[in-house]
Amino acid sequence: MPRWFSPAAIACGVLFAASPFVIANAPFESDLGLVQKIFYYHMPSAWMFLIASMVCGVASVRFLATGNYRHDRTALAAGELIVLFGLLTLVTGPLWARRSWGTFWVWDARTTASLVSWMIACAYLILRRYGGPGSEKLAAGLALFGMANVPFIYISVNYWRTIHPPTSVVPTLPFSLGFPLWYCVIAFLLLFVLLLKLRVRVEEQQARVDALYLALDERS
Amino acid sequence: MKTLKRWCAVVLLLVSWGINAGAQQPPKQQKEFTPIDQLPPTESMPAAPLLVTAYAFVMIVLFVYVLSVARRLSTVQDELNRLDATIKQTGRP
Repeated sequence: MPRWFSPAAIACGVLFAASPFVIANAPFESDLGLVQKIFYYHMPSAWMFLIASMVCGVASVRFLATGNYRHDRTALAAGELIVLFGLLTLVTGPLWARRSWGTFWVWDARTTASLVSWMIACAYLILRRYGGPGSEKLAAGLALFGMANVPFIYISVNYWRTIHPPTSVVPTLPFSLGFPLWYCVIAFLLLFVLLLKLRVRVEEQQARVDALYLALDERS
Repeated sequence: MKTLKRWCAVVLLLVSWGINAGAQQPPKQQKEFTPIDQLPPTESMPAAPLLVTAYAFVMIVLFVYVLSVARRLSTVQDELNRLDATIKQTGRP
């Protein structure tokens, strides 16, 4: 692992350990009250979900264009992170919605598109796991659909009728509400980078193991 | 004919105004005050359990995933070391 990995992992651990105190010190939002504090984990999770979709899509495009398996390994690692952060988003969101909207789920454009994107990522992983030889190119094509969904998820709240707050909410947050949010965004972003690096490392080592088995078979 | 059209327009206007007025009824008069702890469960739902569930879920899922990746890395690393040792013993690349 690179030299920056261990200090970054420690920093990430400290950021997450301190995050409940930072969030607890944030003031209550006037309309939503206590339940609004789910926002500080829900939104960074959602952003990592979208970033992972972009990373997976871009790496898949590069893999399809160059045939370099380094990009394929990155795409696979990011694909797993889409499912992870998507799950966090799709669970914390309804818990917040239950109190503030009165229901766990509404089929508005953003929630529906997010669910579709998450299911595309699940399909991507299933294809990679059970698709057999050559499935990586088919899966890369699937990842492009996941990536194409990202801008739609982001802007959907501005163009379709929805209960979700619009994208203008975050830039206009006062410091007292904005600081915990950006603190958590940094923590989640650092975690995302570390997990991506760790997961890519697993794939790299697995590729080395496969190459060694192949070499042993050829010699025997 | 013109007069008839005018009358029709006035009647339509009045009917639509009446429909709108009916639709925009003022809120019902409050005849009693209800303490918040006597509200139905849906209206007095506490936020704390939802908040704790959300944060606990995130922490547990992240922890399990980090453990899972660390375990997978450790397994593949062990296999790599074992293969390296076999290759060194047999002298084959």
